[in-house]
Amino acid sequence: MNAEGAPAVRRVSYFSLVWRELRRDRLAVFGIWAVVVLLVLAVGAPLVSSNQPFWFHDARGWSSPWLVGLFDRLVFESSVDIFYNLLLVLLPLFLLAYAAARRFFGGRLVRRRGRLVAGCAVVFSLQFLALTPATIGGVENPLHYSHPVQNYRAKLAADPHASALFPLHHYGYRETNPVESLSPPSAEHWLGTDQEGRDVFARMLYGTRISLSIGVVAVALYIFIGVVVGALAGYFGGWVDTLLSRLVEVMICFPTFFLILTLAALIRERSIFHVMVIIGITSWTGVARLVRAEFLKHKGLEYAQAARALGIPARRIIFSHILPNASAPVLVSATFGIASSILVESSLSFLGIGDPNVASWGETLNAGRTDQRLWLILAPGFAIFFVVTVFNLVGEGLRDALDPKLRK
Amino acid sequence: MKAYALRRLLLMIPTFLGISLILFLILNLAPGRPGAQQSGDLSQSMRGEVTAESYKIFREQFHLDKPILFNTRFTLTAAEVRAQVAAASGVGTTTAAERVHAQEALEDLGGAAVPFLVGLLDDPEPKLRDAATYFLRIDAVRPLEDPFDSHPSASLRSRNLAIDAENAELRTLRYVSDAPEATKLAVIARWKSWYVAHHARFEHDALGKLSMFFLDTRFAAYWRNLAHLDFGVSLISREPVVPTLVSKLKYSLTLSVGSLVLAYLIAIPLGVFSAVKKGTRADRVVTLGLFMLYSLPNFFVATILLYFFSTGSEWQSLRSFPTGGWSSTGAAELTTLGQWRDIAWHLVLPMGCMTYNSLAALSRYMRSGLLEVIQADYVRTARAKGLSEGVVIGKHALRNGLLPILTLLAGLLPSILGGSVIIEYIFGIQGLGLWVVDSINQRDYNVILAIELFTTVLVLIGLLLTDLSYALVDPRIRYE
Repeated sequence: MNAEGAPAVRRVSYFSLVWRELRRDRLAVFGIWAVVVLLVLAVGAPLVSSNQPFWFHDARGWSSPWLVGLFDRLVFESSVDIFYNLLLVLLPLFLLAYAAARRFFGGRLVRRRGRLVAGCAVVFSLQFLALTPATIGGVENPLHYSHPVQNYRAKLAADPHASALFPLHHYGYRETNPVESLSPPSAEHWLGTDQEGRDVFARMLYGTRISLSIGVVAVALYIFIGVVVGALAGYFGGWVDTLLSRLVEVMICFPTFFLILTLAALIRERSIFHVMVIIGITSWTGVARLVRAEFLKHKGLEYAQAARALGIPARRIIFSHILPNASAPVLVSATFGIASSILVESSLSFLGIGDPNVASWGETLNAGRTDQRLWLILAPGFAIFFVVTVFNLVGEGLRDALDPKLRK
Repeated sequence: MKAYALRRLLLMIPTFLGISLILFLILNLAPGRPGAQQSGDLSQSMRGEVTAESYKIFREQFHLDKPILFNTRFTLTAAEVRAQVAAASGVGTTTAAERVHAQEALEDLGGAAVPFLVGLLDDPEPKLRDAATYFLRIDAVRPLEDPFDSHPSASLRSRNLAIDAENAELRTLRYVSDAPEATKLAVIARWKSWYVAHHARFEHDALGKLSMFFLDTRFAAYWRNLAHLDFGVSLISREPVVPTLVSKLKYSLTLSVGSLVLAYLIAIPLGVFSAVKKGTRADRVVTLGLFMLYSLPNFFVATILLYFFSTGSEWQSLRSFPTGGWSSTGAAELTTLGQWRDIAWHLVLPMGCMTYNSLAALSRYMRSGLLEVIQADYVRTARAKGLSEGVVIGKHALRNGLLPILTLLAGLLPSILGGSVIIEYIFGIQGLGLWVVDSINQRDYNVILAIELFTTVLVLIGLLLTDLSYALVDPRIRYE
């Protein structure tokens, strides 16, 4: 209560308002929970399905092949997997440290939660970037760590004195087994096997990692390009705008999928990172147009004029003044963008132009098409459908929540 | 209106040029050699002389021997050529890959290397002399003029015959490496006298150098061909690209335009229905159904439809649709009506898969567009006048409500053309989409270029039609 006796204004931030709106939308809440579950599945995949036992005991003593295998390039070839495995080890440590810190420092920490989360995000994305060159190089890359992979299931069966604890589902996604090629779903192989005898359930599970990272990385890339192009065009206008708008128009007239196909096919040793970059550099036009329109609207408003009058440099006006106000439509389009990037990646690997070394859903679906096996069609098909639906649901919810016209 | 259409048409030109520039850069700066499927593998092993020359002619005809953007070959020096020849003939320490690379570089240099190769004929190193005569035979050869002209004129024929005779003579200027010294010297002397007679062909004045710098490049050749609407021949099938493209067009256009029309025909009534019944159970069911359809990947649906209705499933009665393709094998013997029915029967599944995705997007936009319009004052006025609900919706609201889905047409076109790739791949329809995938896999640059430029033009025309149709639907929009 202040001196004049006017009622205190409850400060509610824009995003907590949006959050309140979003929570009313049951489908969107379902979508958010589903995304969380997908993330947990992606990070925890080795806990559910791996051909390396948690521990193994025989005449030579105890060992933990699972833990060693987490960072082994012969067990997990793609560095996307290594990244998620690192998360699997580090995330519980982070959470523990956070819980401990919260106990000791209490409220002060809670107030800085946003900054803490942002810090973690930065650390993780740096780590992701650092791992990227490790996949693009060959297996002789010095960053690769590997040791001979053993078939522990066979060892356990052969040695009556050995004991082992396997994850619930004890197959790896790269493990081929010609004897069990194209076997239908059973208690052993929950979703059957493909032509090469690889376990479909494991491939679906690890495919979550590929899809989520494709979606997030490609979208982050194209949001970045789109925001920069759109902001420059909208804020400066004049010839900058003319030039950039022409560029956007050229890109829009391109049949994007053809362009993506061409780019992807022309790279000889494709990795999943190439696919991410290709999707990123071809899909930014929509964001650029959105941001440009927002900037055209905002740059004439009082706050932007005031900032200019104060002599604040253009870079700061663009990025710290106008951009936060123009970010709502970008957020919505990013969420839809994740869904469509996942779709593009699976169509690429469906056509056989993806990364052959990762467990991609599209690849399994194409195997189902050529081999005409129902389990090879249904499992990846529904996986793609589910992920796309979930991100679309969140996107719809966000769009409605951010639209002030619909707010009561 | 006319002036606007004209201006839009003119604006298409820079856009088209921009797109062709991007395409050129992508195709030419990408790693991997075109034609590597056939000739490149030969270059890995020791190539015979005949294949070396035919590979060189092949590269020349597709301008692959030229530098990409700027030609600086007139600055070539004797030392550079000598180093290349040394690398190619294995003088000094070179790996096999380096030798192949140097060989190819020398072959690509063509006429620019000839004066220096002639200079090398006096080189003290015998291996270099041998190599110089070898490369002279390849580089001094003149390409035929317009080799793909199917109806050559008499003068063109006679000129080409003359070139061929000259080339045949050059091919005889050879010796095997263990030939006696006297034979070698005789051949070398003949090369020298040939060069004295023909040296004017290999010397350039300042203007010649300037035009060579800009015009004797892949880039210039590309624009020249574009200006003539000449897309060349397929590198793989060696058939002209444009006729093949036209013959494949009917499949792709039927699929994409057909599915687009179908999608609009279904989407508009569906959107109107669900906007009019807003909030009812019917609306909720339609909205949810469309949302599901929107998220269903069409390659999944196509695969599963093929499985159940055509090939895989155990239920015989369901398997009544063809596995793919455009028409049955014996279709030519059917009556015209029978042929049409046959094609239609083949098209049910692919067309359905292509339609439902755009259908879902369209009717969702139709619904929200109409909902916005229904709240407008003029609609309330129309109702207040006592007009029937049918007239209010059908006549007053619908016209404005159509605007958003017209805008969508521009965005749908590129994605429909892209989507046809997957559908044609799954159903084995020999349209543009399948052709582009095959060509990309075989690095058939001429075909990729032609298809992508062509689809771009289609999209540009689509955009133009969209903008013009605005003016038809919305009289407020005046283009001055």
